[in-house]
Amino acid sequence: MASRSSNAVANKSQVVKWVLRLLVIAYLVMLVGWPTAYVVKHTFADGLSGIQDALSDPDVVHALKLTAQIAVTAVIINTVFGVGMSLLLVRYTFIGKRALSVLIDLPLSVSPVVVGLALVLVYNGRFGWFGPWLEDNGLQVIFAKPGMIMATCFVILPLVIREVVPVLEELGDDQEQAARSLGANAWQTFRRITLPGIKWAVVYGVVLSLARALGEFGAVKVVAGNVGGETQVATVLVQQKYQNFQQETAYSVAFMLVFAAVLCLIVVALLRPKEHKS
Amino acid sequence: MSIEIKGVNKKFGDFVALDDVNVSLPTGQLTALLGPSGGGKSTLLRIIAGLDSADSGTINIEGTNATQLPPQKRNVGFVFQHYAVFKHMTVAKNVAFGLEIRKRPKDEIAKRVDELLKLVHLSQFAHRLPSQLSGGQRQRMALARALAVEPTVLLLDEPFGALDAKVRKELRDWLRRLHDEVHVTTVFVTHDQEEAMEVADEIVVINEGRVEQVGTPDQLYDEPANDFVMGFLGEITTLNGVMLRPHDIHLSLTPQLSEAAEGSISRLLRVGFEVRATVLTDDGEEVTVILTRTHARQLDLEVGVRVWVTPAAGALTMPSTQKAAAV
Repeated sequence: MASRSSNAVANKSQVVKWVLRLLVIAYLVMLVGWPTAYVVKHTFADGLSGIQDALSDPDVVHALKLTAQIAVTAVIINTVFGVGMSLLLVRYTFIGKRALSVLIDLPLSVSPVVVGLALVLVYNGRFGWFGPWLEDNGLQVIFAKPGMIMATCFVILPLVIREVVPVLEELGDDQEQAARSLGANAWQTFRRITLPGIKWAVVYGVVLSLARALGEFGAVKVVAGNVGGETQVATVLVQQKYQNFQQETAYSVAFMLVFAAVLCLIVVALLRPKEHKS
Repeated sequence: MSIEIKGVNKKFGDFVALDDVNVSLPTGQLTALLGPSGGGKSTLLRIIAGLDSADSGTINIEGTNATQLPPQKRNVGFVFQHYAVFKHMTVAKNVAFGLEIRKRPKDEIAKRVDELLKLVHLSQFAHRLPSQLSGGQRQRMALARALAVEPTVLLLDEPFGALDAKVRKELRDWLRRLHDEVHVTTVFVTHDQEEAMEVADEIVVINEGRVEQVGTPDQLYDEPANDFVMGFLGEITTLNGVMLRPHDIHLSLTPQLSEAAEGSISRLLRVGFEVRATVLTDDGEEVTVILTRTHARQLDLEVGVRVWVTPAAGALTMPSTQKAAAV
């Protein structure tokens, strides 16, 4: 009796397991897999000619270069700032720490378009708070690279911090104190002890923010002004080409963006286990 | 005097961790800071190391005023309770850390690391990661790491607290022998009075942020300054209104001395080679007596037997206080 009923339970849980699996797989296929596959399919509908055509359009090349420049710059700034901010949040106590912690999550909840608008309000050259003064001193922010980098930085702000903070907390400060007592100064302690401890969290944060920065649309579109061949990034270009019935180019550029993001994830996945085995 | 601590106060919010602590720790000796948990001894050690700062007071290490110095400039070695090993470095790299920071030549570092690993019996583990070592081995590595920089003082914060009883005892013996070899001024924190008495040349008893007594293990045991020290260094019981140690009580089955208190045994507990008898005297006092198992057998003790108890000749006694009665 007992064994039969436990068998029944086991069978039931088997069924549940398969149903759940199927559900998850179907969900992911419908939401992610199929649409992405569709982009890939359309990109390679005529073999490689789609991509070749796209890459012969100077606007596309410029947009891809600009996207890469902005993404890399924003990620570098965000990494330095993110690691510093994480150290501040975990290792020090100060008034307003919790408020700061909440503020860092703001970019996750605020629509990027709003972010773009806010930046325009502050930094535009005609009636912004800082804009006219900056422009008088020869720095154009809005409708130029600095604004696009700022918008991207804002959007990816939490990604490094949220990866690094829990790792720093788990690491504790024992090792850092030991390093200090052995004669290491603050910088030596950070470079030799703290950084190796949070290395993987930083790498993940960088990859996530790079993927996010490559794909950013709303905030950058608002601040960029969208001049083809000048301030147009790849995502905005995809939208424009699609609306202008140049679907093939749109699909090709979209595919390249997806490919870059997936490549980042694969590189990390390949690097990490090696580190663990050694 | 190697370490001079003068008028040190430290508060954490409302909690007074150290209350006007003045103490001198001698050069070349092994000193124990002994006291109950939360008594302030670890805080004092961390203040000596510069890992915490005192609210007021001064710290002098070998004649230099270290009060305002950051930890990396005090030339102290610090060993943590939970080892604080550098997880991503091999054992040899861990030990070499302080020397590499000091930019010593490579061959000198290699030689010194070799010597130290030999000293702590870890030579064959030089190229392992700390995660592949046992707790005792990790702590020995941490000790070698702290010794590598030739510190003026070596500070150990409950160094054996996270280890199991057997390893703890081994390491304790080993620390004593190591100290006899290297003679570096050493201060270690412990809440275990047995550990302190076995290892230390001198003991500083700290309770509720204050220094209760400073002295050699024998002085503390034989001439405790107050009932706290007496109670902390070993078990106590009260007999005829005085405090004394349970093994200093003579127990007999016949009234041999006129002042002996009469009573009956209410409880017997055997722990290994000793027997703890609780005697309920006719005056209503509960007296704990410790005898050897052999002695208890000779007397044929059982619960309910009538006995007479007296302080043994030469027993250390102290007038009982309210606090001691509560213990």
